[in-house]
Amino acid sequence: MLKEDFVIFSNIRRILIRTSIDYSRMDFGCIRGVVYFRGLFQLPPQLIGDDQEKVREISEKTLFSLEKKVRNLPGVSDVLFQFENWRKERGKWIPIERKKKVEEVKEKRDEEKTQSNL
Amino acid sequence: MRRRPNRIYKKILREMEKAIELHPDYADLHNQLGLLFILQGDLKKAEGHFLEALRINPKYQEAAKNLGCLYLDIGRGTKAEKIFVTQLKKYPKEGTLHHLLGMVYLKKGREGEALSRMGKVVRCSSYYEDFYKKNGLWKRGRLDLGQKAEIFLKRFPKNYLSTQIHHWVGLYLAKKGHYARAVQELKKAAKLSPDQFLFHANLGMVYYYRGSYSKAIQEYQKALKINPLYGMGYAHLSYIYGLMGKTRKALWNMERAVGINPNYADLHYNLSLLYSDRKRYKEAISELKKALQINPQYLLARVNLGVLYEEQRKYYLAKKEYKKVLQINPDDRHVRKRLERIS
Repeated sequence: MLKEDFVIFSNIRRILIRTSIDYSRMDFGCIRGVVYFRGLFQLPPQLIGDDQEKVREISEKTLFSLEKKVRNLPGVSDVLFQFENWRKERGKWIPIERKKKVEEVKEKRDEEKTQSNL
Repeated sequence: MRRRPNRIYKKILREMEKAIELHPDYADLHNQLGLLFILQGDLKKAEGHFLEALRINPKYQEAAKNLGCLYLDIGRGTKAEKIFVTQLKKYPKEGTLHHLLGMVYLKKGREGEALSRMGKVVRCSSYYEDFYKKNGLWKRGRLDLGQKAEIFLKRFPKNYLSTQIHHWVGLYLAKKGHYARAVQELKKAAKLSPDQFLFHANLGMVYYYRGSYSKAIQEYQKALKINPLYGMGYAHLSYIYGLMGKTRKALWNMERAVGINPNYADLHYNLSLLYSDRKRYKEAISELKKALQINPQYLLARVNLGVLYEEQRKYYLAKKEYKKVLQINPDDRHVRKRLERIS
């Protein structure tokens, strides 16, 4: 059964509150059953501390759980995540900054390889 | 103000002390720690944290009020006076500050100045006239400084600080997901200061978090009765009615929220969802346009606008909006599909 967008929107809002996500820099909305998330995905610093690995681990778990909860809402036909700092690829959540860094390292290595080949 | 702290306060204090080690420059944390040390009875440390909060953020009014109340409570009237006078220079229309300064004068036996100051309180905030009346201190259009007033006003700084503590602890526990305990704390705050709309609003928020929607509605309604201009109160009521599937009431409240806060793009967006759900497309489109006028980068509003134009068979306008969306976000498969379908 198709649920009204505002009802879905109100449910997402409540999910966000209960998952302790800092949604102050995030936009979300619902358009004919398609749910959108945009902006920055963040967790409160006092909750996760400074350990980057731990931050990543908790963020991944929270994102998986958020997606599952939103998809389970009646009336939701799809969920689109368009975060600036996290991206889902082949079923995995990847922090975009980290991905960039990994790519940069890879590029550097490739360059070094090319240079050594020369 | 000395109390025997219970386990939960001690636990929060330990957590806060750890947090402040990580973030020593957070004025909020120092203010909150100050309140917790009052509960512990360690007034020296409380004073230190309030002062630190004010050093980090000299405009931090709550920390200044708390420090002033602490001084007032322990009989350091001159220091309290200095704080309230400084604050009043920055915020001359702040009723509570006038009231607290009046209390300082009373404690110092300067009755005339106290009466004149409390007269200013009533001119700044009608809330205080009701407050004095309810406590039997207002007679024949002026403050009556009889015995009753003396006892009541003596208790005021303590009550003020207790209210702040219960309010803040309630919010802290709610953030941690301890909703039942949070409700207890916020109820204590609301009982001590029943006319503070924010306490009722936050109590409503905790009930909402907990899923007790009827109670949440009651508290938001109390908050709105005290402060009818609390626009976000209407917005929260709208979200709650939305969760309950009562979209007619959700719409009524969201319309009021937008009326009070016409510059909030997200409220216009929410209102457009409600109009659109009720097939009032013209009004929905108008709200989305207002949201985009306030925030032209509001992509979700633009996608919605495209969809509404498409459903109205205004394909030219729909295409225009979809193209703008895809320029910013070429990965949006839903918008791409919609654009292909009408192209």
